[in-house]
Amino acid sequence: MSTEVDLKALWNKEEAKDIPDTKELLKKAGSLRKAARIRLIIQSVVLVAVVAILLGVGLNIDHKQPTTTIGLVLMLAAIVSYLIATNQLLPMLFKSNIEGSSQEYLNQLIRIKRKNEFLDKVMINIYFSLLMVGFSLYMVQFSMKMSAAWAVFLYVITLACLTVTWVYSRRWEIKKTIKPLNDTIKKLEAMNEQLHEQ
Amino acid sequence: MVFDEIYKAYWNKVFRICMGYVNDHDWAKDIAQETFIAIWKQLPKFRQEAAIGTWIFRIASNNCLRQIERQNRMPRAEMPEQIAEHIAPDRDPQVQFLYRCIAELPETDRLIISLELEDVKQAEIAQIMGLSETNIRVKVHRIKEKLTKKFENYEH
Repeated sequence: MSTEVDLKALWNKEEAKDIPDTKELLKKAGSLRKAARIRLIIQSVVLVAVVAILLGVGLNIDHKQPTTTIGLVLMLAAIVSYLIATNQLLPMLFKSNIEGSSQEYLNQLIRIKRKNEFLDKVMINIYFSLLMVGFSLYMVQFSMKMSAAWAVFLYVITLACLTVTWVYSRRWEIKKTIKPLNDTIKKLEAMNEQLHEQ
Repeated sequence: MVFDEIYKAYWNKVFRICMGYVNDHDWAKDIAQETFIAIWKQLPKFRQEAAIGTWIFRIASNNCLRQIERQNRMPRAEMPEQIAEHIAPDRDPQVQFLYRCIAELPETDRLIISLELEDVKQAEIAQIMGLSETNIRVKVHRIKEKLTKKFENYEH
């Protein structure tokens, strides 16, 4: 008896004893689809609500100066772009084709993870830069009505808080998202490498 | 071929490939289910450019490769032996040993040998993996040698 026959015979002895019913499987597929749809709806509602609140606040200010409007637009751009990037609301950037060959699929996964890593790294900087510049411009109109000391105090405190949050968020982002992403990319690259080894 | 027929004909084959990859009964069942959900979604778009089996095994193999993202669970191959045996007392020890040896191989080798043992033609394995047939033949030979050595040590 050859080893191959032995291995094949042993291999075929393994069976899933409880094959799930197709109805159960399709129910699971339906609930997964429903959960994805609900998540997308919630994310879109949050996005629309944020835009509506900021626009509402901005439009209700009397005697607006251009700096107020520009500041508001920049803050709005910061929040909207951050929400879009972190919630992966641009599916075409993260779409993968599971029907391709393993080599193609691994390359796709590596590309997607790299995009993810880039967005995570860059978006946090874009978000805080836009937010700080936007806030500084937005406050010009109001600080002109204050005494110089109060205006400086307000700017220093607010920008210091934003800077601390920026530094802290970057550290958190690196620990929670970028490091695991890097690890996944390394493992995927190692798997891709295995295919080319003889 | 309708979904129900595919499901009945391929469930055990897909399950075994997933078992070879993770050597964990529940995890393998989850991956097999995810694979069939993907098949169910993609089936209306399937244009018969490839044989249905090749297409199904491609989705199953890619689903296995995706498991790298699921790091919260430990492959059975890394579990202490007594735990693995405690979970599956009614499995033939030789069968358990084979699946454990396969799950200890590099990820892509696990898929290649699983497909080979599932009687998939080497030309089809080459299409599934995206490699040449010669490459697959060399790899299958090398993996079988490795497994044979492990079995020789196991028996003595």
